[in-house]
Amino acid sequence: MDRRRFLKVVGVTSGGAAALSACGIGPEPTEQLIPYLVAPENQVPGTATWYATTCRECAAGCGLHAKVREGRVIKLEGNPESPINGGRLCSRGQAALQGLYDPDRVTEPMARGQSGEWQKLTWDEGIARLAAKIKDARGRGIVFVTGLETGSFGQLVDTWMREIGGRHVTYEPFAFEALREGNRLAFGTSAIPLYDFANAKYIVSFGADFMETWLSPVGYQNGFTRAHAFQAGRDASMARFVYVGPRLSLTGMSADEWIAAAPGTEGLMALAMAHVIASGRLAAVPADAARLRDLLAAHAPGTVADAVGVEARQIERLAREFAASKGGLAVAGGMTAQYPNGAEIVVAVNVLNYVAGQVGKTVRFGPNHALEGAGSFRQMADLVADMNAGRVPLLLVHGANPVHSLPGTFSQALGRVGYKVSFSSYLDETAAASDLVLPDLHPLEQWNDSQPRAGVYALQQPVMQPVLPGTMHTGDVLLRTTGKPGTFRDYVQTRWRELHGRLGRGLAFEDFWTDALQHGGIYRDPPPQAVRLSLELGKSAPGGAKPLLGWRPSPEEPLLVALPSIALHDGRGANKSWLQELPDPVSKITWHAWVEVHPETAAKWQVVSGDVVLLKSPFGAVRAPVWVSPGIRRGVLAVPIGQGHKAYGRYAKDRSFNAFELLGDVPTAYGGRAFTVSVAVARTGDHRRLATIEGDAREQGRGVIEVLPLERAERLKPGQHPFAEHGVPSYAERALEEWAEAQHKKASLGDYAGEHPRWAMAIDLTKCTGCSACVTACYAENNLATVGEELVVRRRQMSWMRIERYYTGGDHGRPVGAVVTPMLCQQCGNAPCEPVCPVYAAYHTPDGLNGQVYNRCVGTRYCANNCPYKVRYFNWHNFAEPGGEWESWPDPLNMLLNPDVTVREKGVMEKCTFCVQRIRAAQNRARLEDRNVQDGEITPACAQACPSEAIVFGDLHDTSSRVAQLARDPRGYHVLAGLNTKPAITYLARVVHGDVAETGPHG
Amino acid sequence: MTKGSGRAAVGAAVACLMTVPAAAQNGQPAAYQAPVISDTGKLAGPRQPLFFRHDVHAGQYQIPCLYCHATVAVSSAPGIPSMQTCFGCHQLVAGGKRPFGGGSTLSAARDSAARAAEAAEVRKVQAAWLGKKPSEWVRIHALPGFVRFPHMRHIKTLGTESCINCHGDVRAMSQVYQVATLKMGWCVTCHVQRQVSRDCTLCHY
Repeated sequence: MDRRRFLKVVGVTSGGAAALSACGIGPEPTEQLIPYLVAPENQVPGTATWYATTCRECAAGCGLHAKVREGRVIKLEGNPESPINGGRLCSRGQAALQGLYDPDRVTEPMARGQSGEWQKLTWDEGIARLAAKIKDARGRGIVFVTGLETGSFGQLVDTWMREIGGRHVTYEPFAFEALREGNRLAFGTSAIPLYDFANAKYIVSFGADFMETWLSPVGYQNGFTRAHAFQAGRDASMARFVYVGPRLSLTGMSADEWIAAAPGTEGLMALAMAHVIASGRLAAVPADAARLRDLLAAHAPGTVADAVGVEARQIERLAREFAASKGGLAVAGGMTAQYPNGAEIVVAVNVLNYVAGQVGKTVRFGPNHALEGAGSFRQMADLVADMNAGRVPLLLVHGANPVHSLPGTFSQALGRVGYKVSFSSYLDETAAASDLVLPDLHPLEQWNDSQPRAGVYALQQPVMQPVLPGTMHTGDVLLRTTGKPGTFRDYVQTRWRELHGRLGRGLAFEDFWTDALQHGGIYRDPPPQAVRLSLELGKSAPGGAKPLLGWRPSPEEPLLVALPSIALHDGRGANKSWLQELPDPVSKITWHAWVEVHPETAAKWQVVSGDVVLLKSPFGAVRAPVWVSPGIRRGVLAVPIGQGHKAYGRYAKDRSFNAFELLGDVPTAYGGRAFTVSVAVARTGDHRRLATIEGDAREQGRGVIEVLPLERAERLKPGQHPFAEHGVPSYAERALEEWAEAQHKKASLGDYAGEHPRWAMAIDLTKCTGCSACVTACYAENNLATVGEELVVRRRQMSWMRIERYYTGGDHGRPVGAVVTPMLCQQCGNAPCEPVCPVYAAYHTPDGLNGQVYNRCVGTRYCANNCPYKVRYFNWHNFAEPGGEWESWPDPLNMLLNPDVTVREKGVMEKCTFCVQRIRAAQNRARLEDRNVQDGEITPACAQACPSEAIVFGDLHDTSSRVAQLARDPRGYHVLAGLNTKPAITYLARVVHGDVAETGPHG
Repeated sequence: MTKGSGRAAVGAAVACLMTVPAAAQNGQPAAYQAPVISDTGKLAGPRQPLFFRHDVHAGQYQIPCLYCHATVAVSSAPGIPSMQTCFGCHQLVAGGKRPFGGGSTLSAARDSAARAAEAAEVRKVQAAWLGKKPSEWVRIHALPGFVRFPHMRHIKTLGTESCINCHGDVRAMSQVYQVATLKMGWCVTCHVQRQVSRDCTLCHY
């Protein structure tokens, strides 16, 4: 009996036939067709229009391309022309879309009434109230707090504050004060240079998480993979990467070597390396570095080794390698630059770069980062003091949420401010504590501009009509309040007229403006800026060993470090369900915060993952679930920043704990904030199941991830296959041959006859860093539902693409490391899921995909049971049901749904199909133009987003395609190839310097 | 190329290809003349807010389909004409002046009543444009949410007059109604006949 007949019989006998015809998947077609009054220009129904604009989710300022369908923006991708991100985009940037369509946005102006309730206002009333308050407070200390604004809006605020005798404070919780101060001490300039990862040959990161939140993560990750990728035949193939820091972060996971130096001693290590280079004349040491003789002499490797906790021999080796590479790059940041002695560590790292002759080469001043202009934590502390003293009658806040990041002091001080006005689009903690909320447009609805780094003039244009008609651009509000003529767009254009004078290159202004709009801005190379060693250095402040040793964490209590989160940043990402459900690249935990504990510490305290402990610092206490991880130094605890909101919408509110509550609020010597604190830990006896997607922390030698030492990888010749795939057992050979023949016969029937592409993918694990941008891209492209914390705990997440992270080493004294791999449907040539489907919902397409026909699926889940890769996901609930318990897209979030992809219903299995909608779109386009699809024309969403360019997609049957070439690479292997599944995804083994860390018992 | 000129160019090209509706071919050489409708209640198909007559526009006046459904050859969606497109003609064309078909033997009174009725519909269009209230058409042809139908591929292969294959001969329809079932079996029948792909993921994804 064939399967179809089987089901028919079953259907008749059990009444289950209804399931076959109940194909109510997806929204019902509209019953009314309402035409445009006037068809919008450049909009073709059914076809996307793309607009260039700029991402404002962090200070990096990546260029964006916004995909607009029928007037709604439905996806964000990187702008390939932007020199910042070169067409790539991180998870946070892609999730800006969810900020735009946030169901909890403030819909119209509102003010606190007498009894504290919100009263809705018209804009005229709101602006009149604001104007009245300004009139009252004029000249008496008005303060305007904004995020980093380097363009027209910032200028408008500055000008206005000067006019009314107020003060403009820029507040970024991650303002890189230590980096700026360290550069000032070392080079006499507080500029933040461009770090040229792409041309580096040896990279040492002292805590700088340059793939996560450090300065410009997308661009730097892209540059890093260009240097660190294994490309046999290239001169400087594979720069070595050493990560120094107390915790193995996402950035650290890409390292060839992780050195968990004692917290606060990273600077000593950098100086010791500089000492080795200078004293051994291992590099072209600049002449003026002689001034550092005393400083360096005090930091010989032997002297500092004990303090750092690293053998002198190892420091010497690193220094020699660093110098010998003739392209070393040392960076300091992240955790390391948030210690109380962060600035000194930055100085030490600057000295290392300088001594090695790299300043001006891999450390390039000139194209300086905009964060140089950010305020400092000290300014914020001063503001709090003024507020407490009653010197601030009127406080205006835009683009910052200080009540969340300064939970104690700022909110208390807020009580002594006469009148508080928030321009937030969301009712975050600061807005909730305000007297008047004048909701701003989302950056995707705004005109604005910015200068994320010198030479990059990025333009922001509205990519759609405002989602909420009751919101107004704060720029326009300010112009109206001050009675100035024109709109904010005119204001931006006026500024661009000035730019046109300088950069116009003979173009008429209209052409210049249109050109900038089309390309997302104007990109110029600024002249390089030469820097010399500061004359002060070696003489005073960090001269001698004292200041560098000036801070040591208490040896009695564990040191807690608060980590900037790659998904939530400083907490601003917490209102977006994609980011909440994005597994943290390191811990794989979603929706809540945790405290990372070393296994030995955990054993000492007798706690396991999931046990809730009480963390108590001098400033506050939180309850945190333990996550035991080998990727952290003994005696150090780590908590992620970003959760624990008291407001900020349904996705952020009352989730887990706020790490900022544990931190002090006294500025450090360099004007920043220490993200470290000593804590007392107490068991609470409570336990919770972590909302994690991790299956096993170790790969257990299953062959999911293969690793090759560089020496061996370089010797591989075409045609070699070091990863011997388990052969077919001899007794099964004949059966398989016959079966294959039968398959072939079948394959020559109907649609399957003739030439077809075989869509395939190659994923280079040497490039993949685990940053998870692809995961969010998949959510955005394929209408993946977010299921919420409870369902993730029950392992019912819908993430078609997941990043698996496995720890390596750690036993027998071997160094701890980690390997990562993206796991998605392998589109098997011989797929176990297909033959078990009773209704042919899972079937093999002629072009080699494991198709999944949602409207055929009856939800037996046999396919998922039979999938060895576990990449099929079942809809246990109706995530699209408006108002339903598990609703994933509450209005207006449903506006971001991709109309080219079916929204799946309860009871349906779903999976990755290599973005088949993009394949079909490319085929349609090619057919209209009477040609064939070109290699590279189709890019699945994951490959498009990938900041490392690790994913290549194409037709395996086209032998000249990039993917076919990569599939022949000797590094290539297939996951679980022994199952004879014949996957379409070829993974290219990760190549590491030095020994291969064993991935499991079998190696 | 501006949008307007593009549309005009497409329109001109299509007009040459259009065949005269069958009804007009036998008998007089005169063009097809859409009948006078006195009882709209008897017409097939849902009643629309505005009695727009495809038989008058596409049949009698032989306006090519692509004049109004302008994106059908380039996009998956054919596009519904904006009210601006309607008003483009109807700011000049008041309606009620066309030659009546069917060997018009109406009495003078009924003739003028029919003309007044048609002119009244045109005034509705003008009112919709001037009042900025687009008319809300009742949708007739709809596919479920899990089906993708790329109009442009079909137009590319079958030509710009192939609309009738699925939508019926709207040139003879006073009020549009659904002719084909648009069910999967109906789609597949055609795909089988023409020996084109029947792969599920052609339409379902």
